[in-house]
Amino acid sequence: MAFTPRGGRGGDRGGRGGFGGGRGGDRGGFSRGGARGGRGDSRGGRGGGRGAPRGGRGAPRGRGGAGARGGAKTIIEPHRHPGIFVARGKEDMLVTKNFCPGESVYGEKRISVENSGGLNEDGTPNVTKTEYRVWNPFRSKLAAGVLGGLDEIFIKPGSKVLYLGAASGTSVSHVADIVGPTGTVFAVEFSHRSGRDLINMATHRTNVIPIIEDARHPLRYRMLVSMVDVIFADVAQPDQARIVGLNAHLFLKVGGGVVISIKANCIDSTAPAEQVFAREVQKLRDERMKPLEQLTLEPFERDHCVVVGRYVRSTT
Amino acid sequence: MSSVDYLLHESSVGYAIFQVVHQGDVVGNRLKEVQDASQDLALFGKMVKLVNFAPYRGAAEALENINLVSEGVLSDYLRFNLELNLPKPSKKKKITLGVSDKNLAGSIKASFSGVECETGETSEVVADFLRGLRFHAGKLLKGLQEGDVDRAQLGLGHAYSRAKVKFSVQKNDNHIIQAIASLDHVDKSLNTFSMRVREWYGWHFPELIRIVSDNHTYAKLALAIGNKRTITQDSLHDIAAIVNDDQDIAQAIIDAARVSMGQDISDADLDNVSKFANRVVKQAEYRRSLFQYLVNKMGVVAPNLATLIGEVVAARLISHAGSLTNLSKYPASTVQILGAEKALFRALKTKGNTPKYGLIYHSSFIGRAGQKNKGRISRFLANKCSIASRIDNFSEEPSTKFGEALRKQVEERLDFYATGAAPTKNEDSMKSAMDAVLADIKVDGPSEDAEMANITPRAVQKQEKKSKDKKEKKEKSKDKDVKEEKKDKKRRHSEVNGDDEVTEKKKKKKSKKEDSNSD
Repeated sequence: MAFTPRGGRGGDRGGRGGFGGGRGGDRGGFSRGGARGGRGDSRGGRGGGRGAPRGGRGAPRGRGGAGARGGAKTIIEPHRHPGIFVARGKEDMLVTKNFCPGESVYGEKRISVENSGGLNEDGTPNVTKTEYRVWNPFRSKLAAGVLGGLDEIFIKPGSKVLYLGAASGTSVSHVADIVGPTGTVFAVEFSHRSGRDLINMATHRTNVIPIIEDARHPLRYRMLVSMVDVIFADVAQPDQARIVGLNAHLFLKVGGGVVISIKANCIDSTAPAEQVFAREVQKLRDERMKPLEQLTLEPFERDHCVVVGRYVRSTT
Repeated sequence: MSSVDYLLHESSVGYAIFQVVHQGDVVGNRLKEVQDASQDLALFGKMVKLVNFAPYRGAAEALENINLVSEGVLSDYLRFNLELNLPKPSKKKKITLGVSDKNLAGSIKASFSGVECETGETSEVVADFLRGLRFHAGKLLKGLQEGDVDRAQLGLGHAYSRAKVKFSVQKNDNHIIQAIASLDHVDKSLNTFSMRVREWYGWHFPELIRIVSDNHTYAKLALAIGNKRTITQDSLHDIAAIVNDDQDIAQAIIDAARVSMGQDISDADLDNVSKFANRVVKQAEYRRSLFQYLVNKMGVVAPNLATLIGEVVAARLISHAGSLTNLSKYPASTVQILGAEKALFRALKTKGNTPKYGLIYHSSFIGRAGQKNKGRISRFLANKCSIASRIDNFSEEPSTKFGEALRKQVEERLDFYATGAAPTKNEDSMKSAMDAVLADIKVDGPSEDAEMANITPRAVQKQEKKSKDKKEKKEKSKDKDVKEEKKDKKRRHSEVNGDDEVTEKKKKKKSKKEDSNSD
């Protein structure tokens, strides 16, 4: 096996792909359950990482998640950050509570857990089902940041989030899961092509407001956004800090959080990554954001980092 | 200039006009206490007073308004509301209105004589007021229920974004991008399929490959001949029809069939081979029609660019840039290495030599240049491509006149490198192209054309000088120091020129850039 750095990464990904396998069990009466279980046995069956789940996008309901069905083996525990959960089975996975149960957004696996809530009036056990969606840290930088151990992400149930660089809405869907029905996600994306998928995703999640507009011109969408608790930015532009600053001055509450994922190559491909990060953090300071922590996204992404800051409008 | 009397708050539910009761102060604006106060509804509520809140009377009106507001245009509804609610201006004192967007501020100022505007950019006090309004909007606007704003945002957000996706400026470009991508795929599969036909039919009639090497003709022949035992002297005409009426080749095929060493083939097998060959022939026909479509499309969308470097390369350039508009925004130096990003960034990282050409390598010009001149002609061609794409993007009537002129210029430049024959002056070639275009369209916009004609002389002057320089350079090419000196001189010259003409139109800048790039 050629072990160039890339190849190594690929291998890593494959490993993660197997992440949800190994479980399976039978989904009572579901004819494909057996086949699924068999698939779960061949570890890493989902391999192929980033690209593979995509094929499942838009698949009919019930397809994507069948493999990782949570049997008795899986236990869901709340994560340190409210709204995020950890599924403990054969392997641990980051999951979020599905906002619209029964549907996968991009072909990710779903785990449903039965929680007994005592007895009903007629004596039958009152069983409610909660569905969780697996959050792949290789596809979402926020998930990678959470797994990497960010202290504070500001995104919690009920928050209003301004999400810059929403792309097709894969990560956005998880953020929408976290903030829940009482929160709102304003998802800004410039590209029309991925905006199409974003809008489709948002039709099922009423707490997501899709905005197809350039994040460089926040005034153009000022009518659609209210004051938010946190800005998450994943725009990969050389003037990212400026974009975040513009949006923060208009829409971010005082003391609100800023979570930025920085790709060093997009800002300056010639300078070493550390230097680029340091420069970006300085730019954030100039925009009146107080950096709280910086975290590299290794091993999920190379030369990426997440910077978390707090918006401090007063200078004293 | 810090006092502000009224504030305009645009939201998803409607327009709200607030009166400022208690002025903020610039000096202490960034104090913690001041900032905290705007967070507190009890305190902030005392600073502003709602004058009027005008909700939209339906989703359609909301969408119309957000579209206008995001462009900074004053909608009729907003104008009406402002007229109604702002007090009549007295001669002494003008009213100051705080708005968020400076474009909208300009539109308001243009239609209301007695109103001055402050924006969030010009005054931090206004910015803070507007932040406060946004923060407390749900509470301050009268007659709203909890969650009304959120619902309106959701509905309006969907409507706005849908409209954005639906209305795309680069409709035609998308088709070109898809067509060139499909063309590549079809080419690839056609090639593998043709190879398969040759392989498969070759078991039956191995000699045919030697006689007919063209894939498409081969597939057609395989289809026509079928079982090689069936062909006789009588089928000469049919076969000749396929091979361009070449009697010799047809005769050779018939002779070869007679003495072929290929295996015999059963009808069922032959049937399958024929079906496959048929597919390949159909695919080749489809490829031709697809190519024709691309050529036609390019003739409409980017005629000059297509004339200059050929439809396929032009389409690839557009596809790589994302759209013709994007391509026309690129500087020529970017066009030159478009498609060679990997090599470029590697070179930048290792501080090595940057690539000389990207996609434009596939134009015939670069192949025709000598090894030493490949980089030069690539640079020259990229400049011309950049010009052509801009003409295509911004001209309303498609015409190939400029493309032809530019193409001729590149040809002459090639000739110049090869033989030293002096190329036509840029002024002359551009002027003749311009005249040809004018003669064609009977002058739709004379002002614009005059401007275009104006630009040529300056651009030409320099080019002339440059070519002189080049000649001199050639003579003294051994003496490197002299060359360096000359370059310096030239650079200074262009700088001086640049200072003179700062106020000139953008178009001129473009041509200037083109010049300085090519030296």
